[in-house]
Amino acid sequence: MTRPRIAYVGMTHLGLCSGIAAASKGFETLCFDPNADLVARLESGQLPVVEPDLPELLAANRERLRFSSTPQHLSGCDVVYVAPDIPTDDRGQSDLQSIDSLLKAIERHLKPAAVVVILSQVSPGFTRARLKPGLNLYYQVETLIFGRAVERATQPERIIVGCADPTAPLAAPYRAFLDAFGCPVLPMRLESAELAKISINMCLVASVSVANTLAELCERIGADWDEIAPALKLDRRIGAYSYLSAGLGIAGGNLERDLATVIRLSGETGSDAGVVEAFVRNSRHRRDWALRTIHREILDENPRAVIGVLGLAYKENTHSIKNSPSVALLEHLLPWKVRVYDPVVTPAAVPHLKIQGTSSALEAAQDVDVLIIMTPWPAFRQLDPHDLAKAMCGKLIIDPYRVLRSAAVTAAGLDYITLGVPPYRARSHCDA
Amino acid sequence: MLEHLNPAPEKPRRAVIIGAGGFVGNTITAQLRIDGIDVLPITRREVDLLATDAASRLRQLLRPTDSIVFVSAIAPAKTVEQLILNLRMAEAGCAAIQAVNPYHLLYISSDAVYADDANPVTERSPVAPTTLHGMMHAARELMLKTAMAGPFVALRPTLIYGAADPHSGYGPNRFRRQAAKGEPITIFGEGEEQRDHVLVDDVARLAARILCRRSRGALNAVTGASVSFSDIARMVAGHFKPSAEVRPVPRPGPRPHLLHRFFDITDCLKAFPDFTFTPLAEGLARTHRAAMETRS
Repeated sequence: MTRPRIAYVGMTHLGLCSGIAAASKGFETLCFDPNADLVARLESGQLPVVEPDLPELLAANRERLRFSSTPQHLSGCDVVYVAPDIPTDDRGQSDLQSIDSLLKAIERHLKPAAVVVILSQVSPGFTRARLKPGLNLYYQVETLIFGRAVERATQPERIIVGCADPTAPLAAPYRAFLDAFGCPVLPMRLESAELAKISINMCLVASVSVANTLAELCERIGADWDEIAPALKLDRRIGAYSYLSAGLGIAGGNLERDLATVIRLSGETGSDAGVVEAFVRNSRHRRDWALRTIHREILDENPRAVIGVLGLAYKENTHSIKNSPSVALLEHLLPWKVRVYDPVVTPAAVPHLKIQGTSSALEAAQDVDVLIIMTPWPAFRQLDPHDLAKAMCGKLIIDPYRVLRSAAVTAAGLDYITLGVPPYRARSHCDA
Repeated sequence: MLEHLNPAPEKPRRAVIIGAGGFVGNTITAQLRIDGIDVLPITRREVDLLATDAASRLRQLLRPTDSIVFVSAIAPAKTVEQLILNLRMAEAGCAAIQAVNPYHLLYISSDAVYADDANPVTERSPVAPTTLHGMMHAARELMLKTAMAGPFVALRPTLIYGAADPHSGYGPNRFRRQAAKGEPITIFGEGEEQRDHVLVDDVARLAARILCRRSRGALNAVTGASVSFSDIARMVAGHFKPSAEVRPVPRPGPRPHLLHRFFDITDCLKAFPDFTFTPLAEGLARTHRAAMETRS
């Protein structure tokens, strides 16, 4: 059998990274998006997303990749992945209109035997409701992680496939493509696969919620969560890759969507989702840790304080600010003067916040009373606390993700507050 | 969570305080006047909310452009009779409010509306009172919210203290009065229970801000700092020369199920970022000075 031709519809973060990954496995890959401007930028090598190794992977596989906004080009493809962004509202509810529109728009351009695979995350029941004679439709679980998208797309642990009939063999071109990834392929009924995606995320949320709950306790009883978490990871029942880093709640939007979906489905079916509601409460509580901390430590006593904030992106190595803890914090610091630096995101991305952008981390720290590191960009790890101490007029670093080393910060005469441990106070204050 | 209908603070045309003769109502009235707001204080002298003609008398005093603070209550409501009386007072208020349809309604409620085990308490904690007092406030919130066509807001203070507080419940007010009389300050057991206490002036300042922003929703009037009764007793004792004695006494009953109560004040930080609560030590000192001035 000749190698199947693959297509990705929707040049989203997911669609683009997955498409380039498919080409890296040796398949001719069409990257389609109805947005001709976006396609033109991609064609010229401009990537709209920030991901480690993605530019290199694109360059190495450029000859097998074709970018197009012409739907007729899909007629040459054997397996067509559909991967638009699924927008969510403030309550985490998905708007599935965009994927329906896209499915409708491409359907008539597909070859008769083409396999269509929904890759965007949809609610259980969505795919089966779109089955119809002549449409070879599957759902495949995506496990994209912002900042690790290339690794996730090229080296999946397993591939979960939802099928109309899981006892029937997968369509041959689809099977041939999946086999190229060299990992277990798990066919299951559509509803199981759709819920499997949510189940994965629920397990991650459970781990994160446990970590956040216990990290807060650590802050109050003198324990250090960073001493505890590695011990847990050595427990085989918990696992080396478990999500046990303390953080500022659950961010990014996708996990929140799944929480909302489980609560909604439980409401509709009468199952108990009390524990999921507790996850939501805990996430909301921890998200505002930095706001409470800065009020307690500085703002309640110094109404004229100047604040430095490092990071706007919702996590490192991404340009996304959706549900960013940093942006959420800044929205509640409007009465104060704030200086901000992010290596990728500019203040123009958040025009509703009256923040002063700066060109470097040190410039953001200049003359501030407190510096908060809200995104753990690798570059921030290189900051020398002595330089920060010289630049700042205040003495406090709030660093939820432990980007800096507490000992180095306190040795520089600065107080240091992070998640999961009581505040570290400076060894010696520089009163100059 | 509060939602501000006024994007920027705007003085109400007139604030009407129903229950202005009480400890909290009087303080709110004073604060609003300091802020330059036209205030109509209504005490029991003007309208007795338990009188048969209360609703019509109140209605005659109200205007559709008024921002109303409903603070009148028989508190704490410890008996069924007190509960019913409070509901009757609210019933009269509801009838007048429904007839007038005022611009804004602020109800001074209580943190007693929350379940005992809601730690840390937030504005999203379930309203599940376990006392008649809490049930009274929960019911009145619902009554007034239902009667009010426009924006309604409930301000839910925790334990309030201040020099003019007529109550002598267990806490700062009683401790101060005991010490002022030359008696030892008595704490139950070791006085280890931690509670949040809010200065009445802070409740009044929050009420004023809520009126100016025409906020709706619910907000807890709490400082976010819970302190043990033992520590509070020692702070109060230290205001007297010589320092008053703090004496542990056996608890009058079993140790309360709710040993500590903590609040998460994030909603307040978001609603009023530049609002700061008076630290307990400062508030107690201020209360002591005010009480001494009143005595002299």
